[in-house]
Amino acid sequence: MKALELKGITKQFPNVLANDNITFSIEKGEIFSIVGENGAGKSTLMKIVYGLYTPTSGEIYVFEKKVDMKSPQDAIKLKVGMVHQEFMLIPRFTVAENIVLGDEPHRGPIFDFRRAVREIKELSEKYGLKVNPTDKVANLPVGTQQKVEILKILRRGAEILIFDEPTAVLTPEETEDLFKTLLALKERGKTILFISHKLKEVMTISDRIAVLRRGKLQGIVKKDETNEKELAHMMIGRNVVLEIPKADTKPGPTVLSVENLTVRNHRGLIGLKGVSFDVHSGEIVAIAGVEGNGQTELVNALVGFTRPTRGEITLNGSTMKMVTPYNVRTKGMAYIPEDRKRRGLVLPFKVKENIIMGQHSLYPFSKNGIVNDPAIDKFATKKLDEFDIRPRNIYVKAGNLSGGNQQKVIVARELSMNHNFLLASQPTRGLDIGAMEFVYNHLVEEKKKGIAILLISLELSEVLGLADRILVLYEGEIVGETTPAETNEQELGLMMLGLKRKEGAVK
Amino acid sequence: MKNIIKGIMYGHREKYWWLTIVVPLVSILSALVVGAVFIWSTGRSPVTAYKLMFGASGLFPGPYWKTHFAEMLLASSMYISTGLAFAIAAKGGLFSIGAEGQFLVGAIVAAYFGYAKPFANLPTVVHLTVIFVMVIIAGGLWGAIAGWLKVKKGIHEVITTIMLNWIATYLIADWLVTGPMKANVATGVSGTPYITKTAKLPIILSGTRLNISIIIIIVVTYLTWFLLYRTTVGFEIRAMGYTLIYNMEAPKAAGVNADIRVVQTMFISGAVAAIGGSFIILGILFQYPPVFEGGYGFDGIAVALIGQNEPLGVFLAGMLIGGLRTGATAVQLAHIPKTFPSIIEGLIVAFIALQELVRYLIVKLVESGKKKPADKNNLTKATNGGTANE
Repeated sequence: MKALELKGITKQFPNVLANDNITFSIEKGEIFSIVGENGAGKSTLMKIVYGLYTPTSGEIYVFEKKVDMKSPQDAIKLKVGMVHQEFMLIPRFTVAENIVLGDEPHRGPIFDFRRAVREIKELSEKYGLKVNPTDKVANLPVGTQQKVEILKILRRGAEILIFDEPTAVLTPEETEDLFKTLLALKERGKTILFISHKLKEVMTISDRIAVLRRGKLQGIVKKDETNEKELAHMMIGRNVVLEIPKADTKPGPTVLSVENLTVRNHRGLIGLKGVSFDVHSGEIVAIAGVEGNGQTELVNALVGFTRPTRGEITLNGSTMKMVTPYNVRTKGMAYIPEDRKRRGLVLPFKVKENIIMGQHSLYPFSKNGIVNDPAIDKFATKKLDEFDIRPRNIYVKAGNLSGGNQQKVIVARELSMNHNFLLASQPTRGLDIGAMEFVYNHLVEEKKKGIAILLISLELSEVLGLADRILVLYEGEIVGETTPAETNEQELGLMMLGLKRKEGAVK
Repeated sequence: MKNIIKGIMYGHREKYWWLTIVVPLVSILSALVVGAVFIWSTGRSPVTAYKLMFGASGLFPGPYWKTHFAEMLLASSMYISTGLAFAIAAKGGLFSIGAEGQFLVGAIVAAYFGYAKPFANLPTVVHLTVIFVMVIIAGGLWGAIAGWLKVKKGIHEVITTIMLNWIATYLIADWLVTGPMKANVATGVSGTPYITKTAKLPIILSGTRLNISIIIIIVVTYLTWFLLYRTTVGFEIRAMGYTLIYNMEAPKAAGVNADIRVVQTMFISGAVAAIGGSFIILGILFQYPPVFEGGYGFDGIAVALIGQNEPLGVFLAGMLIGGLRTGATAVQLAHIPKTFPSIIEGLIVAFIALQELVRYLIVKLVESGKKKPADKNNLTKATNGGTANE
């Protein structure tokens, strides 16, 4: 029996075609995985199945009945449940209270806590999900919180369970535990949709695997008939139309030096383990890797948002210890952040205000602490022309620009600052080809000027096209150093997925 | 439901900029209407009540206008100062409710330097300058404590400002005023001694109590606007306030020294509130009395809310609240308790708290009015909305 069937699902967003005519069906009692790069359309597809988005066209069948889902409530009624990447739990409530919330057992108008606890106990025994119903959620580790989420949807009678990148927040041990749970659920006849971009996990757990790339279904393979290499190829081995200009420059003196850097992430776990490397002037060093393998921790430590646990960062000869972003900025670092809405721009500010942020206290934008508007307007107008930012209106709020133009504002701002080191963290994230080319050209221009560039990227084509040296980051460690001439996409892809190590001269 | 929430969250801020002005006006009008229903339901005449209240508020010309006007401006200058204090902090993303304590600190410092011996014989201009410098430093430091604790120890400013309020209250009332600063018993004065003549704010309208406090507060309002919109410090303060939900990451990443700015913002906020505190001593009471009726700091929050945290708005809102308070006693002639204007004030704040809803409803009203001819516009708006929501 088919548990879920999608026929020709297409989702068109204003600027992107997120899902393009996707058709597949899932058998009852199957673990079905969907893999793909970031932005391949996995999450959009799942949100459609869960009723959070309505598809532009296409049909959904649940248990061989055509359905029309308008909200998650509809999905729950149809026995479709979803475990979100970010848990929707109330920290101050107990496990039992969280699970029954919205459908509480009651005696008359009074909430029957004891019955809730009893129910949860039975449920957790039935599925082998060990939780203590009277524990406060705030005190639980993330793995257990996830179990609470799973119990929550099971209690609502979910037959089809969607897991959106469930392992992204888990430790390896917790991941193993989750897999045991998934298999137990499968035994009980539940159907599981597992979303991930980690191939190793997908190969461990799935029965069948669907590969998405740029919103299109690349194919569905049985686990037994494939391997990680083939999947990696389907997932990332694309022909790139984009041409990246080359520039041969001689690397100059060391600008940035990172020594044995260890950084904890926001959960207190070690995210980056003893990483060392140098960046020289006139050189682009790329950090390749699948997202969540230590890039965020590295960036945060470099920019000064997190203090490293161990290790040393030296920028232009001064050691960065106990620094804040403010100190780092005064040492000649330009920074293109990966999350432009959060870290790059003040969205309610006008373009002209955003484009001078960071230089606002310098002449000619201000004199003696008083803002000089004519100079700012002149500068902003010039930069809008130079970087082709549309609309050509310096008074538009940054939040009303399209993603590509927002990125251009940031690039314009950062490159016009006085700097000799550029940290470009996923500078083309979410950009279309035109805007990507724009960013690439400017990075190469910077390189020609003798600026030291550290590029952090998830895109292999970008890494291979731009970098002089490539460092591969996997689970917080540099697992290999290579150059574009020595390697190819396949090899890099394997290294990024932790399947191959290259013991090069990792400085 | 989802669409309603989306509409509220993203609004159409830029397109309908005039809402910033219209929304407070709608709130005030709604409050007056609801207030009228209250009066009417008790069998009294709302028209008479409002006539009396606004007649004596000093906001509109009428009998004894000169006196009412002077009293209104006297009261307003204090509400404006605490309102500005809240607004400055709010612009920087800080929810400071410490204006009450800072106001008291300003008052006691003004009282001390007003009577203390070494300063007593200075010429008025010098004496007042000394007093205001000390008031600004003391109030500013009182505010900066909260900022410093937030930066160094991560304690939320709401907690620290509340605690500092109580510390100021009891430090002054139970120790300074009854202890070291107590007037000589032989003079028969309770509370602190009276300030000398040279410390009194000069009267600018003869026959009334109106003094230069209103001129000072006009200057302070202008300086606040100048600080927020014309200086680099204000630029950074606003950038921090706008990105509060993102932990101020964008300005920090761009090189704004957020830690220092938080302390500075709290200093400025505290100083402005303290200036208001000095007005009540130097212009109205001339000593720090044993029992001090406060509340100006908390009313300042209401003033800032009505004024939408914009300096000019705060100024106008301060005049409104000052006027309502001045007109309060007059409503008793209509057999309505003099606390009635406080109900109006509360209602205004309640409607302001609903401003996102009011905004949404007004926008909906406007858009339904001009929907048909503008299909193209709707299309572009939908795309804009799409990018904003991503």
